[in-house]
Amino acid sequence: MSEKQQASVASSGRFAVFSYKATPYLYVAPFFILFLVVGLFPLLFTVWVAMRNYNTITGDSGWAVCGAVCGTRDQSLVGNFQWVLHQRDFWMAMRNTVSIFLLSSVPQIIAAVFIAWVLNANLKAKTFWRMGVLLPYVIAPSACGIIFSQIFSDKSGAFNVLLQTIGLAPIAWHADTLASHIAIATIVNFRWTGYNSLILLAAMQAIPTDLIEAAVVDGAGKARTFFSVTLPLLKPTLIFVILNSTIGGLQIFDEVQMFNNGTGAAGGANNQFLTVSLYLYNLGFNKVTIGESNIGRAAAVAWLLFLVIVLVAVVNFSITRKLADAETRGKKRMQKKAQ
Amino acid sequence: MKKAMKLGAIAVTASMIFAGLSACGSSTQGNKTADGKTVIKIQTFNNFGYEKSTAAKPGADLFAEYEKLHPNIKIESTVASSSDEARTAFNSSISTGSNSYDIFAVDIAWWPSIRAIGNKFMDLKDYTKNNNWPDWVVKTGTDDSGRLIGAGTDIGPTALCYRQDLFEQAGLPTDREQVKELFGGENATWDKFFEIGQRYTQKTGKPFIDNLGDVAAAMKVQKEEVYVSKDDKVIATEDGIHDMYNLLTKNANLSAGVSTWSDDWNASFNSPNGFAVLTCPAWEVNNVKGNAGADFRGWNVADVFPGEAGTDQGGSWLTIPESSPVKEEAAKLVAWLTNPEQQSKVFVAASNFPSSPKAQATPEVADKTDDFLNNAPTGKIFANRAETIKHIPYINAKYYDIDSKFGAALDRVDCTKEQTPEESWKQFVEDVKALS
Repeated sequence: MSEKQQASVASSGRFAVFSYKATPYLYVAPFFILFLVVGLFPLLFTVWVAMRNYNTITGDSGWAVCGAVCGTRDQSLVGNFQWVLHQRDFWMAMRNTVSIFLLSSVPQIIAAVFIAWVLNANLKAKTFWRMGVLLPYVIAPSACGIIFSQIFSDKSGAFNVLLQTIGLAPIAWHADTLASHIAIATIVNFRWTGYNSLILLAAMQAIPTDLIEAAVVDGAGKARTFFSVTLPLLKPTLIFVILNSTIGGLQIFDEVQMFNNGTGAAGGANNQFLTVSLYLYNLGFNKVTIGESNIGRAAAVAWLLFLVIVLVAVVNFSITRKLADAETRGKKRMQKKAQ
Repeated sequence: MKKAMKLGAIAVTASMIFAGLSACGSSTQGNKTADGKTVIKIQTFNNFGYEKSTAAKPGADLFAEYEKLHPNIKIESTVASSSDEARTAFNSSISTGSNSYDIFAVDIAWWPSIRAIGNKFMDLKDYTKNNNWPDWVVKTGTDDSGRLIGAGTDIGPTALCYRQDLFEQAGLPTDREQVKELFGGENATWDKFFEIGQRYTQKTGKPFIDNLGDVAAAMKVQKEEVYVSKDDKVIATEDGIHDMYNLLTKNANLSAGVSTWSDDWNASFNSPNGFAVLTCPAWEVNNVKGNAGADFRGWNVADVFPGEAGTDQGGSWLTIPESSPVKEEAAKLVAWLTNPEQQSKVFVAASNFPSSPKAQATPEVADKTDDFLNNAPTGKIFANRAETIKHIPYINAKYYDIDSKFGAALDRVDCTKEQTPEESWKQFVEDVKALS
């Protein structure tokens, strides 16, 4: 073999090594390029917009200014943030978002675990029941919103008509803060409980039956088996479900927008059910008040919402892990005692 | 069409599906079709009466007519279900210069922001020489340097719609001439209006009006300055508006407390316990008909309206962005759509009242009667109402932000009944402060 040929083999060898090493990255590249363009870039651009005096129609006009609510016309990087934090509407929106999130996510996940547990038992017509709980999920969120906003109408709604026929006082669904939150949480729960149940059911079916059987042989009852064996083993899935509903719950928009039903301030005459997403949308896209940094302020709201979601998600994550760990530790202690 | 902003979101879904279908159906490349026709894209909202007539949205099928007259033109029309939705598309198209549409229908509420960027829109003056509008319609559509950037379509002269069946039960006259006299004819005042309302409600125990916000909307546009003065000072918390607020909240007991466009509001129109009068812009007759059912014969309309000046609620304009690649062709279409002849056709088919005085005088418009309203001569009644409109209030960038807070203030007393008038006013004053 001549030197030339040898070199060529070596080079093709080097190429082969390179291509062997690079190919996996090429395969995942489309996702990351797409993410860069439609995910990361807008994310970073939002930081920029949040610091600028930016109007949807007239565009960028320098660094942000807080204005009369802070008593200053000075330009500053945090002007939009300051303005937002001075708005009563923003804090009302924050309160409502957290309240609706708690009213929807907590009962929803508890119900989902229970439904999954029931579905995991030996039922007749298994597939029918399993499909049944998923059915609300095929309805679009806004469609759910329309249906329920009619049910929850203050005067002609099915719910209040029902209450009145049995002699009870109708509930002011759009006027009372807590009532409106419960109504909106109902829309969310209707749609998402079944979906979460199915995910948890899949996780339950992955639990080895011999573990359950062992518990039963040891004399554990149904409840004991569930709390000491099934629930700890559901931990990773529960974390996933809880994180998902945290993110979705804090961003709630469609259901609230549809719940409004009629003219007037979206979110209620007294901000009874204004959520942060709805506030952001109104600020950035609905109102384009000339001379105001409307989209800049909306971008600031978006970042504040992002921070809150991260915070809540971290808290939820650690709570879930601690709870499940406590279970496992408790079990270990018991085993030691038994020995 | 300000009032007609929120239609059912069912329509949103439906229009999205249709938008999707039409997007698949057309084989356009840029602004030419495959067979060389020039494509003009137009966005309207609610119902401008330009499309083929359907049960829910009557129309004069004008696009098809124009295409027949101009075989080299193809019109692609998108109808947004609400003006809010249309405005979002308008804003992003104008601010990015993406030319999503060549013609945009615009609502009166958009004018402050359009005027701020007036030079981004085409001057239509040379194209609309044969069109005919009252001064205030032209004035609204003109930018600060005197260019005509909006061509007026319909206006919203407002009359008094009333339930003759409920009036009869309450011992009030039912004939529309007598009702006109009852409210004071040409000298009708708001005090008289509320006085009749109090008598009605005391006698029957039923609501007289739908909600305070609706009445306020009709009252305020009779003023020349509402929330802001002509030198751009905020006067929303001063005596003018406060007096109006006090008069309205003092009569809150007359209200059914149903928010406009809500399901409760829709359900009230043919109810025996529904409200008895409605401040009725011409285009709202469609909504009354839709909610009451076309066979319901309880509604009538009287040629009278309280207050010192005529009331215009709604009205729209067509604009063309300067950057449109087919702006000359689009301008010809706009001029044609807004000329008196086409305006008459739209009124005959739908109920959008022509802004053009010439169109108002044509026999098709002037002689139109509506059997739903017990054969009321709607053409004549709304033309008389239109004649009393001399101006619309001065509107600047702050106007509608304050307006929505004012509406909420009335709602808190009227619809949700959670605050006393004093508490709600206090919150309104704070809200207005926070807007700066």
